[in-house]
Amino acid sequence: MYVYRIMLLLVFVGYLLSPVLMNGWASPDSVWYRPFVIWGVLIALSLWLEQKRALDEG
Amino acid sequence: MRVEGLSPLLLVGGGYLALLFLCALAVERRWFPSRLVHHPAIYTLALGVYASAWAIYGSMELAGRVGYGYLAYYLGAAGAVLLAPVLLLPIQRLTRTYQLASLADLFAFRFRSRWVGTLVTVISAMAVLPLLALQVQTLGQAIQQLTGTASPALAALGFCLVIAVFAVVFGARHTHLNAHQDTLLAVIAVESLVKLAAMLALGAIALFGIFDGPSDLQAWLEGPGLTHQAGISELDAGQWRTLLLLFFAAAFLMPHMFHLTFAERLSSRALLQAGWSLPLYLLLMALPVPLILWGAQRASIAPPGLESAYLAFALSASPWVDALAFLAGLAAASGTLIIIALALSGMILNHLVLVAHPPDHRGDLYRWLRWLRRALVVAVILSGWLYYRTLGLAHDLTTLGIASFSGMAQCLPGLLALLYWPGANRKGMVSGLLVGTGLWVLGLWLPLVTELPPWVLVPPGLESLSSAPAWYSVTLVALAANAVILIVVSLLTRTSEGERTAAEACAADPVIRPKRLPLSVSHGEDFKHHLTPALGADVAGREVERALASLELTSWEHRPYALRRLRDRIQANLSGLMGPSVAQDIVDRCLPYRRNGAGLGKEPVDDIHFVESRLEAYRSRLTGLARELDGLRRYHRRTLTQLPIGLCAFGDDDELLMWNDALAALSGIDGERVVGAHRDSLPAPWAELLGRLLSNGQRHLYKQPVTLAGSTRYLSLHQATLDTDDDAYGGRVILIEDHSEMKWLEDELVHAARLASIGQLSAGVAHEIGNPITGISSLAQNLRYDTDDPALLETADQIQSLTERVSRIVGSLVGFAHGGHQDNTGRYATAKPRELTDEALHLIQLARTGQDVTYHNHCPADLELEADVQRMVQVMINLLGNARDASPAGGAIEIDARRLEDGEGRNGIEWSVTDAGTGIDARVRDHLFEPFTTTKAPGEGTGLGLALVYGILAEHQGRIQTESPPTGRESGTRIVMWLPVSRRPLSKEDNELPHEPDSDR
Repeated sequence: MYVYRIMLLLVFVGYLLSPVLMNGWASPDSVWYRPFVIWGVLIALSLWLEQKRALDEG
Repeated sequence: MRVEGLSPLLLVGGGYLALLFLCALAVERRWFPSRLVHHPAIYTLALGVYASAWAIYGSMELAGRVGYGYLAYYLGAAGAVLLAPVLLLPIQRLTRTYQLASLADLFAFRFRSRWVGTLVTVISAMAVLPLLALQVQTLGQAIQQLTGTASPALAALGFCLVIAVFAVVFGARHTHLNAHQDTLLAVIAVESLVKLAAMLALGAIALFGIFDGPSDLQAWLEGPGLTHQAGISELDAGQWRTLLLLFFAAAFLMPHMFHLTFAERLSSRALLQAGWSLPLYLLLMALPVPLILWGAQRASIAPPGLESAYLAFALSASPWVDALAFLAGLAAASGTLIIIALALSGMILNHLVLVAHPPDHRGDLYRWLRWLRRALVVAVILSGWLYYRTLGLAHDLTTLGIASFSGMAQCLPGLLALLYWPGANRKGMVSGLLVGTGLWVLGLWLPLVTELPPWVLVPPGLESLSSAPAWYSVTLVALAANAVILIVVSLLTRTSEGERTAAEACAADPVIRPKRLPLSVSHGEDFKHHLTPALGADVAGREVERALASLELTSWEHRPYALRRLRDRIQANLSGLMGPSVAQDIVDRCLPYRRNGAGLGKEPVDDIHFVESRLEAYRSRLTGLARELDGLRRYHRRTLTQLPIGLCAFGDDDELLMWNDALAALSGIDGERVVGAHRDSLPAPWAELLGRLLSNGQRHLYKQPVTLAGSTRYLSLHQATLDTDDDAYGGRVILIEDHSEMKWLEDELVHAARLASIGQLSAGVAHEIGNPITGISSLAQNLRYDTDDPALLETADQIQSLTERVSRIVGSLVGFAHGGHQDNTGRYATAKPRELTDEALHLIQLARTGQDVTYHNHCPADLELEADVQRMVQVMINLLGNARDASPAGGAIEIDARRLEDGEGRNGIEWSVTDAGTGIDARVRDHLFEPFTTTKAPGEGTGLGLALVYGILAEHQGRIQTESPPTGRESGTRIVMWLPVSRRPLSKEDNELPHEPDSDR
């Protein structure tokens, strides 16, 4: 459940800050694939959280 | 290079649809291994249906307008699945428990109103229509791009019809809306794979065919590409967040997503795995979008007037690239059309058709529902085509898509309240939904179907919204108004009891406390009769059997608890068939609870057993204090369950709530079989016994004789009333102690005392008889001297013979009565086992019992030993008496003796008595030589005989053991004694008997 709370918090904070984050990630000065790389990192993070959850509840 | 005519269309489109049918057939015929069909990746790919034609063409259009803002479509959905544990799993739990197949079902269930379901269905249909049109429109436009035909509508209609046929054949064959459909899931997964592969191929063509890889693309973006990016207008923060919220809601509210996520019964594990795998899929789908856009911009071969949504067709002049772009769109559109049609047809059937025409008295209910649903599937898909033909062409994909998503988002406040706010009620939800939807209809939906301009309500203080895009202002204001009205009206109005119960069931952390109400039906078969008027005999029978099978109950189940679960399951199954509103109507009407029945003057109480079973099921979800408390609950429950004394508990309504392990062992009745039953329906003798205690008001009943498993046992019962002052759970708890052993012991002691008295009396009587017998014998002797008459002499001989026999009997009686420890010094003499056996047999045969048993004394006449003759006769009497009692009528008892040295080399005699009885129970065998151990019925044996035998043999330095059955036989018992031929000098220790006799000694 603690994992869920972390996830909830991350998603909510991400939602609030998403315009700022998107502007930063997709700024013309950066490489075109940067948003996708960051997205990939977030997927890896959620995969880690999911595995942790599975271990906790397993 | 464009290939004119319909041949490429037939080749690519027809070939693709043929592949779909083939794939479906392969899954149906089980050509694929089951492990592959049920792999979690299949579920993730099936959820990829979210990436509709919007993801192929609409995203391109949006990316051309707002740059990376197009990612909101993917990130919103990714956020929704990332929140699966707190958002999707609670919904999944509800839909699975109550067999809810759609959002309308869920709302109708929670807010306890069929009209709520109807309202949500109408809103869903209105909201989904633009999305359906978008799919068909992109299909038409793609056909136009592929074939160059000016009028693609007919070809699009052809595709729609083929897709409709597919949906009918493979998606609408089950009557129950939430029937698990492997075929459909597998086909949608294949479609997701095809569109992903096509998009990645198009992206690769752009990146490596038009550009020379990522670096070249970067260089182009920083150079010539800047002019193309100049037209992009970035979304402001508010618009971005609103767009993100819309797509977040769309990921589980859109009918097709709700259907796949919840009605298709994905496992919880698959749903949690989708938390990372679906975002990964969406990432791969989103990545090629800007590549294709930039590639087409650089290639500069797009014909004038080509909409940016279809730039994939302008990547290259190759017909293969066109085919790929068409294939991606077709795969996306067909999957979305199929699932939307199935989902929407179910909602319309349950909440419009069945509400308007209840299916009462319909014999062919299943068939009728199936065909109705199939017709609705076709109608839904054709409505999308009609919308496209009449109205859709005038609008771009972004307008259609966002209008659709914004409409469905109006259900978001209601859904969140459903999960997280038990205080929300029907009036609040309906008011909020009506106002929000009204604003959406006026602002976005009506402008789609009429010439009317968007009407936006701008609240005071938010005038800046008037200059913002209509979709943004309308969505924001409609959602805010919806949420505020829901909260305010819910707070100001009363919530019905039914709604409160449903709210508890729907809460994300439910504390479900169902009431223990009795039903008017008495057993499973009765359910069929009661449901027949509503469903027809055939359907009623099948639905009841289905529910019984899933609960593993028999049709003659009569426990109130089981009947309540059966009623719930039937309602849930009917909900899957006809929706929750109709199902609830039927069940309430046909299977009502008895609220004013006999003995039901009390307020209905919570169904503790059900609450506990739910707690057990949800244990892994409890955290923190709740988990600690649950651990405590389990500990106390285990204490009661494993208490070594029988315990049962009854509720105030005399329903059995607990039947612990010790009571199960004593009664031979498994707790699972009786918990939930009414006291009167318990098996004999428990109904009468417990009823006697509970009804007469006594706190204790001592040593009540009951027959259990063919033997009489004596039970003591103690009851306590559970105080209900500070707790809703009342009732009575009963402790049941088995006092049979103690009762038998008491009886044996009384019997032994009586026997001892009789023994003393016998000795006295024997002594008194001895004197006259001696006199008679003397007189007979005198008679011999006084006469020569042969007849009188013979009479005198007979008198003397008979008096000797009487003297021998009296002597034996006296010897037997003097059993126990005595000072036997000097009483040892040489004796022959054969003669001792004969004497014992002589006494035994005087008894009236066992006359039909034969005795065979095989002891050799030459065997001798040193023994106390009287006491050894007593030993044999006991052994032979036991053998006689154990033998069947006509049985034979064998007495053998032989010389045998013991382990120390001492000469001895092995002396045995063998019967043909049933043998000795292994549990008794270990205690056979202990005092008061007997296998005979109470009153028939003292339980002292073998203990006495053991003691006498110990005095003789012998030992005794049992064989049951004897070696070489299938039944019977052999008692084997070993006695030394001569005694060795005794030490002090030898004179002391062992305290715990052992049968092996």
